[in-house]
Amino acid sequence: MTSFWRKLRWLIQRTDKEAELREELQFHLEEEAEQRQGKTLEEVEARWAAMRDLGNVALVQENTRVAWGWTRLEQFARDASYGVRQVRRTPLFSAIAIATLALGIGGVAAIFSAFDAVIIRPLPYTDADRLVMIWDDMSGTDITTRHNPTPAEWIEWRRLNTVFTDLASSQPGDVTLSDDGEPEQVPARKVTWNFWSVLGVQPMLGRVFTEDEDNKSVRVAVISHGLWQRRFGGAPDIIGRKVSLNDEPSEVIGVMPRNFYFMPSREIDIWMPASFPPWMLRNFTWHDAHIVARLKPGVTLEHARHSMAALSRQVTAKDFRGAHSVILMPLRQEMAGKTQTALTLLLFASAALLLIACVNLTNLLLSRGEARGREVAVRTALGAGRSRLVAQFLTESLVLAAFGTLAGLLLALPAMRFLERLVPESMAAARLTLDWRVLAFSTAVAVAAALTFGLAPALRGSRLAPQQGLREGGRGTAGRRSHWLQHCLIIAETALAVVLLTCGGLLLQTFQHLRNTDLGIKSEKLLTFETPLFRYKDFDRRAAFINSEVEKVRAIPGVINAGFINLIPFTNFAHATFYLLEGQPRDSFAGQVALVRNVSREYFETVGARLREGRRFNAFDRKSDSPVAIVNEAFADRNYPGQSPLGKRFKFGSLGEKGHWYTIVGVVKQIRESGVLAEAKPAVYRVHEQCDQGGDLKAGIVVRTAVEPASIVSAVREAIWSLDRNQPLARIRTIDEIVDRQLSTPSQSTALLSAFALLALLLASLGIYGVLSYAVTQRTNEIGVRMALGATSRQILLAFGRRGMSLTIIGLTTGLILAAIAARSMTTLLYGFQPDFVPTVMLVSFMLLAVATIASLVPARRASRVDPVVALRNE
Amino acid sequence: MPPDERSRVGLLQGTLDLLILRTLLAGCAHGHAIARHIQQTSEELLQVETGSLYPALHRLEAKGWIAAYWDLSGKGKRARFYRLTPLGRKQLVSERSRWEAFSRAVALILNPADEESR
Repeated sequence: MTSFWRKLRWLIQRTDKEAELREELQFHLEEEAEQRQGKTLEEVEARWAAMRDLGNVALVQENTRVAWGWTRLEQFARDASYGVRQVRRTPLFSAIAIATLALGIGGVAAIFSAFDAVIIRPLPYTDADRLVMIWDDMSGTDITTRHNPTPAEWIEWRRLNTVFTDLASSQPGDVTLSDDGEPEQVPARKVTWNFWSVLGVQPMLGRVFTEDEDNKSVRVAVISHGLWQRRFGGAPDIIGRKVSLNDEPSEVIGVMPRNFYFMPSREIDIWMPASFPPWMLRNFTWHDAHIVARLKPGVTLEHARHSMAALSRQVTAKDFRGAHSVILMPLRQEMAGKTQTALTLLLFASAALLLIACVNLTNLLLSRGEARGREVAVRTALGAGRSRLVAQFLTESLVLAAFGTLAGLLLALPAMRFLERLVPESMAAARLTLDWRVLAFSTAVAVAAALTFGLAPALRGSRLAPQQGLREGGRGTAGRRSHWLQHCLIIAETALAVVLLTCGGLLLQTFQHLRNTDLGIKSEKLLTFETPLFRYKDFDRRAAFINSEVEKVRAIPGVINAGFINLIPFTNFAHATFYLLEGQPRDSFAGQVALVRNVSREYFETVGARLREGRRFNAFDRKSDSPVAIVNEAFADRNYPGQSPLGKRFKFGSLGEKGHWYTIVGVVKQIRESGVLAEAKPAVYRVHEQCDQGGDLKAGIVVRTAVEPASIVSAVREAIWSLDRNQPLARIRTIDEIVDRQLSTPSQSTALLSAFALLALLLASLGIYGVLSYAVTQRTNEIGVRMALGATSRQILLAFGRRGMSLTIIGLTTGLILAAIAARSMTTLLYGFQPDFVPTVMLVSFMLLAVATIASLVPARRASRVDPVVALRNE
Repeated sequence: MPPDERSRVGLLQGTLDLLILRTLLAGCAHGHAIARHIQQTSEELLQVETGSLYPALHRLEAKGWIAAYWDLSGKGKRARFYRLTPLGRKQLVSERSRWEAFSRAVALILNPADEESR
């Protein structure tokens, strides 16, 4: 080991060592001369004898340098600088090569940075791999397969489980923050005291709440770093400050670090104690909690799954819906969501693009290698061994790869900005950066690429026998044999391009289908926002407030209509309840669940919902004992197949004696309440004044405007404040924005995949063009001979054109077969849609053949235009 | 008397290292002196190719078996001297025993026991 450091030190002291060696050898010469002089010879002859004896000084120096041990390094440096000179000397070739590499490496780097952010980057919790989320497995019901657990289940699981060190619960708890300043609706959660210890996080300032405070419902709050900065200006006296949350005083006791976040979104700004009321702990149907648990050391996920499934069935054995199991999901997978599949697909696509780029580069280098025969011959004649030549060529490839990586990283930056919207909602604000992991990965990829595309040309290029190369007019009579490699490569890259194009086409079809899904409402210029209702606990006051809100907003100039609904469409996948049809036995409600929405009378007009039969709500539907309801098609088809449900009665929500019977007065066409991509579920709608249950916590207002929705936001704010000065408006966005957000994963992945596919097509066609063009140049003499012997231009054209087309067709066929296999593994990304394979295949084939024809014809025409006289003269 | 070409014995690369180490055991010397010493002590049978002497010296130095320093020669000129390091001393012992094993093996083959002439 010390010898390594010694060599390193010598490397640094190079110039000195060279001078010393010269001096040492000089001394030797003089001593030797003196010695010989002393014996018999004269001085001059003695010197000559001494020098002869010493031998070739340069050789001695060379051998000594070898002993010093830096030869390899020097060789590498020399080859690298030669490579750089090469790049400058052939700007066109280098530009094409570097651009090709930049596309390939840049694409991989960009996708990897997203991959890194979503899947690899460590989560801000201790030992995040041991954290799992627990969901109820409600596959037996109509509403959803996976549902939030209940706090009652949390208590039991905590008490009885054997596989977790602890479990914590987190419930929705959005609050209105009002102190000195505008009232603001802040996303917040109510969490149990052990939330912090389960996650293993510490506050940045202050402390977190204790079990005691949770049990005694003490009003304290832990806030986020963002809120502290934004709302309180980063004030140092934040700890202990009193703020008003939903009009009740709370004390801020802690501030979380900047990078802390947890489900369901990065925008959660306040965490309060859960403080479960006693009734909630006994209610097994209050499904609104998120449960996170930490696995005990040594317990595997599989084991935990089995154990919890059994436990859950035991705990819910007496549930009237039947016992259900649980689903355990590792936290990381939970947070990555559907984007994991999309990112994996994109990673493969970018890798395919990189492979195509490498293939093109191999072809380019092979062609250039044949042109360098002379240089190689000279080097070999001067004594370079094969391994030395191979090393040189590989170093040149590395230089190209280095430039390509730099250019590629520059290209990756805008791609990463685009990708940021693909990163899932729960991590919405994640920035994609070129951190060390991405850079290290890109470097590794670059080196691997350099070896991939550099090896074959290096081996091929160093094989030339010196004699052949040195001969003047060293004609590469490299016959058909030596071109098989290039042909195979062309076929491979064409096949890859076809795979990408086909997958891109399928995704595009799926995305079109998704975009055109009938949402059930007219989404243009539909503004939505929410206002909290906690100040209006009294039923009548609440109803009055809702109606006034809607009236005020409707009165704004530029507004066509306005309506109220308790949950904005597409935003809530649950909020459902049991229902019981008239005439059904009491306990048959267990398997019957429908989404529930309380609306105002003009709601359906405002959103442009369509009726299948019956009527919409009107002014006569007021608070009464015989309320009415409107159901959607799914509900009607499920419960009254083949007949009209109008006039039928049913109960929902409150199923006991006090519950009212609702009469169905209308059937509305499906609105996708649960989300744009979700299936349509049965739903019931009632006028909010006729609701026989407890009230809603917030009001969602939808506004149909004639002008741009953004322009009336301030007018809306004024209108609401004229009713109640302390009402904040939250989540102001248009329906179009909501829909776009939900479609962001499919839209981004489709866009990116299509981009990759088109680039692949471009590169593949450039590859075909390059190979054919080079073949024409090489075989100019042969063409001249043929034409001299009588071949027509046409025949030459066809000969070359056919070569290109046959390569393309073989590539196309191979590609289609591979694409069929690939499409099968892509099904999750197709959202259950069965895209039509045939039109995609036809389109792809057409595109490829068209492009390939041009790519083949251009060089083929050049071949056919060869003047035999000129060609043969260049002998 | 300088020997003619035929009687000069060629040196295998490993043995040059051994000879250098042994020479330096007796004391420090510069490159030329080492060569002269080997030549004289072997009764002019071993002639060190100076083209291989210096690479060998630097190689040994790289391995840490000998160390170098500049000093004035007997005649007052600046020269690069070499001395044996403790590591080199150990190496000399092992090289020597290897050499002796080697020469014994060769001797056994050249004079096989059962073919001893009477």
